[in-house]
Amino acid sequence: MRKQACAVLFALLSFAPAFSAGPLPSVVLNADQIGPRAPIEELTGRNIARDYARAWQALEQALEQDREEPLEGNIVGFANDSFARRIAEQRKSGLHVRIVDHGHKLVAGFYAPNGDAMQLHDSAQLEIQTFDGSKMIQQETIPAHYLVLMTPAADRWVVRLLEEVPGTSAEGQ
Amino acid sequence: MMQNPSQRIVIPSDPACRKQFPLPWVGSEGSGVRRRTTVATIILCTVMMAAISAGAQQLRVPASAIAGAGFAITTFGSGNGTFYLLGPAGAVKKKIQLGSEVQVDESQARSAGRYTAIVCGDSCSSMNFFVSAAAPAKLSFIVHPSRVPVGKADAISAVAFAFDKYRNLVLTPITVDFRVTLKDAPEVARSEETKDGIAWMRLASTKRGGLADVVASLGSNSDKRIVQQVPSDACNLRIHATRKVDKIEVETDPVKDCSGNAVPDGTIVSFTEMDEDGKSTVDAPLKRGIAKVTMPIRGAGTVSVASGVAIGNEIRIGGGS
Repeated sequence: MRKQACAVLFALLSFAPAFSAGPLPSVVLNADQIGPRAPIEELTGRNIARDYARAWQALEQALEQDREEPLEGNIVGFANDSFARRIAEQRKSGLHVRIVDHGHKLVAGFYAPNGDAMQLHDSAQLEIQTFDGSKMIQQETIPAHYLVLMTPAADRWVVRLLEEVPGTSAEGQ
Repeated sequence: MMQNPSQRIVIPSDPACRKQFPLPWVGSEGSGVRRRTTVATIILCTVMMAAISAGAQQLRVPASAIAGAGFAITTFGSGNGTFYLLGPAGAVKKKIQLGSEVQVDESQARSAGRYTAIVCGDSCSSMNFFVSAAAPAKLSFIVHPSRVPVGKADAISAVAFAFDKYRNLVLTPITVDFRVTLKDAPEVARSEETKDGIAWMRLASTKRGGLADVVASLGSNSDKRIVQQVPSDACNLRIHATRKVDKIEVETDPVKDCSGNAVPDGTIVSFTEMDEDGKSTVDAPLKRGIAKVTMPIRGAGTVSVASGVAIGNEIRIGGGS
């Protein structure tokens, strides 16, 4: 019997892309509640988890190095515009942010009938360090919650919207 | 478990204090050692908070804020300091006088999400707060497919994303009105409430071919997509034939789908003839709704017709002489 939902544990700790600074963060995807298109194909589930991990790795690199380039091809559209603006202003102000990523729990919610958009809720545990130059001015470890919209591109799923919301939606699911 | 009022411990409001001393803050049922540790912690924190109130800076952020609306952040203390505001789409740094109010311009808080305000004097303190989307103002609308056969159930899907004017997804439920209109056909309308910024619907294509307008509306804002409803496969395919010595001319009746829509010209119709020489097949495109071929025939035979998955009638041809 084919399982109605797909739960994928994706933790690529060893074969990160050559350009990356570190391992991919761990992403666990739960697609038990996905709809209206359901169930999610196993390969799609694996790709979503992998590509979301890549997007976060890219974002973390971009925020730490104050470079927009890592975002390209991973985070697109409105989300790319927003983060690019943030990075440009960080660079202008001499700020950078280091994120120690302790992992993401993704819950897939909406999957468009024709399969061209997926909305997910992410509950992440992040350690955030903010630097002005080399001086650390703030450090905190927070549970962060994101509303995510991903769409398929030529060879991967890309993050089109990544909006942090007060912690509610993915908890307990 | 009942708590002894004499042992009730006030939870410090200063998160730095809680972070620095991550010990149980309410511990009436703990051991004596734990109570002593907790009491020691209170004293330390009280001293620390007193120090903060005496000289170190603090800040007060808005409990809630709306994208694109300016707000003020209050700082405490005295002397020179630096103010930082990090948001989803911005990073601000400016020199301030501690104890003053920092005005955050509407242009610096247009993105929904978490903002972190940091104030540094001799030491730094920070607070987080959330900015939520403004009123819904724009729709992003996806309709699939762009061409669809008539009379097919759940053939068209429409998904609408509700954004505010700063392109933040609006998470509060709002009603999106969908309308499907086709010339000379009754309008189909449906309203759906967004969930986490998304409303969607699926509907059947109509029985008539033509261009259908699919419109999603959010207040006065609407977005339109066009879906071409094309005739479906041929239905009730029929042929007639005329023998001319060693040839037959075979012609279809006007080819229509099951809803009576003319199947488009160019659609291939296959004619198959079997006679004493065996079987031969000729493909012909529809022209002005009709396909016709001329095929050689020897003796008696049969001719049948098909188009796509539709099979038409078979006719028998006499031997002739």
